[in-house]
Amino acid sequence: MIEVGTQIPPFIVESVPTEPMKTMAFVLRDPNPIHWDESVVRSLGLGEKVINQGPTNQAYIINALINWLGDSTALRSMHVRFRGNVYAEERVEAGGEVTAVDLDASLATCDVWLDGPNGRVISGVAVVVIGS
Amino acid sequence: MSDIVSIQILEAELLGLEFPPGEFTIAEWEHWLCADAIGSPPLPDDVAHPMYAYYTAIIGMHPSLDEIFAYAHSSADAGVMFGEAGLEFHQTLRVGATYRVEGGFTKVVRKESSRLGIMDLVTVELRMFSEDGELAAVSSNTFVYPRGAA
Repeated sequence: MIEVGTQIPPFIVESVPTEPMKTMAFVLRDPNPIHWDESVVRSLGLGEKVINQGPTNQAYIINALINWLGDSTALRSMHVRFRGNVYAEERVEAGGEVTAVDLDASLATCDVWLDGPNGRVISGVAVVVIGS
Repeated sequence: MSDIVSIQILEAELLGLEFPPGEFTIAEWEHWLCADAIGSPPLPDDVAHPMYAYYTAIIGMHPSLDEIFAYAHSSADAGVMFGEAGLEFHQTLRVGATYRVEGGFTKVVRKESSRLGIMDLVTVELRMFSEDGELAAVSSNTFVYPRGAA
């Protein structure tokens, strides 16, 4: 049963890989070299390793929601704030908690997040259909 | 004398600017690659991963990401980052379907941080319409443009 306080089971990436960053850069025509060139990351003072795309980090949270609900069509809205970078080879854990349930509308509102080794890197709110 | 573009110029140039409409088809092979890259759980055959509300918007829009950076007087190698992102679903996005993408700049805010100096937060809202003309999804993205020291 989904109720206020229900925890969304975590989606864990044990070591963020670099190759998918290149795939996403190419598919999205994303020309930002911080996703594939460590020397640019260093020259900008942003760290020592390449930086995962923000939307990929957001996707980890959506993966947690899909696994939790067993339904990839349940997401109605999501708003997130990117609070930090995720670097190659870091361990990240996406999760969330139900904060409100509207049984008439069959909707649940959830705080969602992505945590890295140095704390929270994404926080936000998602609304999902429940009981469909 | 700072050569950082003024917030007044940015507002005048960006706010209200609508992009030419674009179009994007969620090709099966491309969806496979993206789903693999983001570690997606298994999905039903014709259902696109929800992040495709962002991917469809970004790939389908005119201008490109690089041109978005240039509109706001910056470039990809200046360290532009994501600040916030919103997704809103009115339909399930389908693999194989074609979506029309419309949108433009909706907000420009200048802030100052001790670490990054002056930075501009520029929001782009992109709306996706299915082949029957119905609104399918909205993707709202705020990019952070570091401008350096004041």
